[in-house]
Amino acid sequence: MNRTTTLRRFGVSLLFASLVSLLAAPVAASNGAVGLAGASQDNLAVPQWLYLATGGATVGASALLASFVTDRRFIEQVHSWRASVALDDVVRRGLGIVGSALGLALLGFIVYLGVTGPQTPTLNFAIIVTFAGLRAGYTMFTYLVGDTWRAVNPWRTVATVLPNGFVEYPHKLGRWPAVAGILALVWVETAAGVTRQPNLLAVAVAGYSVLTLLGALLVGPEDWFDCADPVSVFLRFYGRVAPIRWNDEDGLSVRLPGMRLVTDDEVTDLADVAVAVVLVWELTFSGFVTTEQGAAAITAVVEAGLPALVVYGVLYLGGFAAFLGLYVLAGHLTVRRIETFETPRALAVRFAPSLLAIAVGYHLAHYFGFFVSLSPMLAGALSSPLSPPANPVVLTLPAWFGALNVVFVLLGHLLAVWVAHSQAYDTFPSRMQAIRSQLPFVVVMIFYTIVSLWLVALPTASPPFL
Amino acid sequence: MSDTRNDGDGLDRHVCERCGDAYPSARLLTLHRGARHPDDLTADEVEAYREAYYDEERELKSFRIRALGVLVLLYFGFLILFILFAS
Ligand SMILES: [Zn+2]
Repeated sequence: MNRTTTLRRFGVSLLFASLVSLLAAPVAASNGAVGLAGASQDNLAVPQWLYLATGGATVGASALLASFVTDRRFIEQVHSWRASVALDDVVRRGLGIVGSALGLALLGFIVYLGVTGPQTPTLNFAIIVTFAGLRAGYTMFTYLVGDTWRAVNPWRTVATVLPNGFVEYPHKLGRWPAVAGILALVWVETAAGVTRQPNLLAVAVAGYSVLTLLGALLVGPEDWFDCADPVSVFLRFYGRVAPIRWNDEDGLSVRLPGMRLVTDDEVTDLADVAVAVVLVWELTFSGFVTTEQGAAAITAVVEAGLPALVVYGVLYLGGFAAFLGLYVLAGHLTVRRIETFETPRALAVRFAPSLLAIAVGYHLAHYFGFFVSLSPMLAGALSSPLSPPANPVVLTLPAWFGALNVVFVLLGHLLAVWVAHSQAYDTFPSRMQAIRSQLPFVVVMIFYTIVSLWLVALPTASPPFL
Repeated sequence: MSDTRNDGDGLDRHVCERCGDAYPSARLLTLHRGARHPDDLTADEVEAYREAYYDEERELKSFRIRALGVLVLLYFGFLILFILFAS
């Protein structure tokens, strides 16, 4: 057998395997951890301040260690390593059709069964598939393996076959509409009860479908899903961390995890920085409001006389603005530290991709245990959508798995430190400048680490007044 | 090889002819050209790049010593903190 056929076969089986694992992900990943913090606090035999300081110091120390690596050629080798696998046109089109069909079927079932199915969240297909499936499992697949949303996205499938593109998308808006959209979706998820009421979720998904189709038909699906659609932008940014990418010219291209963040200049303006920050922030926010301490703080402020929704709103948007502001501030400090013509904003844009590695760590810490414990339920729902089991199975995870959340948070930050290091070497001609430029950003990362390590170690509660 | 003009910020702009990037000092432009466009350099420029590179090596060496000091301090500092406070 010649080399190309072997490669092609390998490519087909790899793609097949990833599609299978997309469907069967729960089975493959079920040796996991606990969800949402919870059990971990009791395991810590060290005082909390020491645990937090150690986490922060780990990130700082790894940045120092990375600064010992000053060999440009080595750094470039790491982030430009790549392998590609050619894909047959027929296979590619076939997989595209399978993906589109799956997407349409899932959307149809979510809306239909959300209304007609049992109204208990743990029994309802819509709730299980949306939150355990898409929000947790599929997002993990997107950053751990590869972004397949372009093929699956049911709204794109519909919009491309209808007449579209009546107006030019206002490109000066960049991806700000998507930033607003992601903030809005997370708000609906936290405050509107869609995680508990299947029929409400179905209505929300139907409403989202109408808005999305209108938008996509108005400005054309390419621009809409590239810049304005929150779900697509969310998954696309997560997908940038993934090792595998599906490419029109060379089939599948494989890279080391996170290294596309260094070489692919896909973050180009402040709106893109905001998307990266929003991914980090939404997990921090939902982490905060679902802890006992966060709930207590919110209760205290509300009892002092402020309306609950105002408190949540200020915390939500104010926290986002603070996270974004810190990043831009780091850009300003960097420009002041070194001789350069780079602007603070350009540096914030340069270093923003490393935030995506951090977001991946947080997402795993928040959703991995949740996903694993619900995976039998998800498998049940997907294998027989129309006949839900009477007694849904939830895996109970051993308490020591809580430590895994800490590991995820730290791993995300370590990857981010390396990405920032490589990015700095790409940007600055002087190695000393490359080292010094990272310092403010590393300080911001240490701050993020401490906040989220604190959150994953707190006992969970349900958010009050919602 | 490069034109040097002032952009009004009080800083000289040393612009790379090949890619248009600007740097505030001739040394930085030399380092940029050596790292990014090594095939463009004349023999003199290669010499200048070497010199700037090794100059920076000295700076890096002193930085590494300080970084090592901080790492050792962190390690023993945390070791002592864990001995005192962890149970
Ligand atoms: Zn140049």
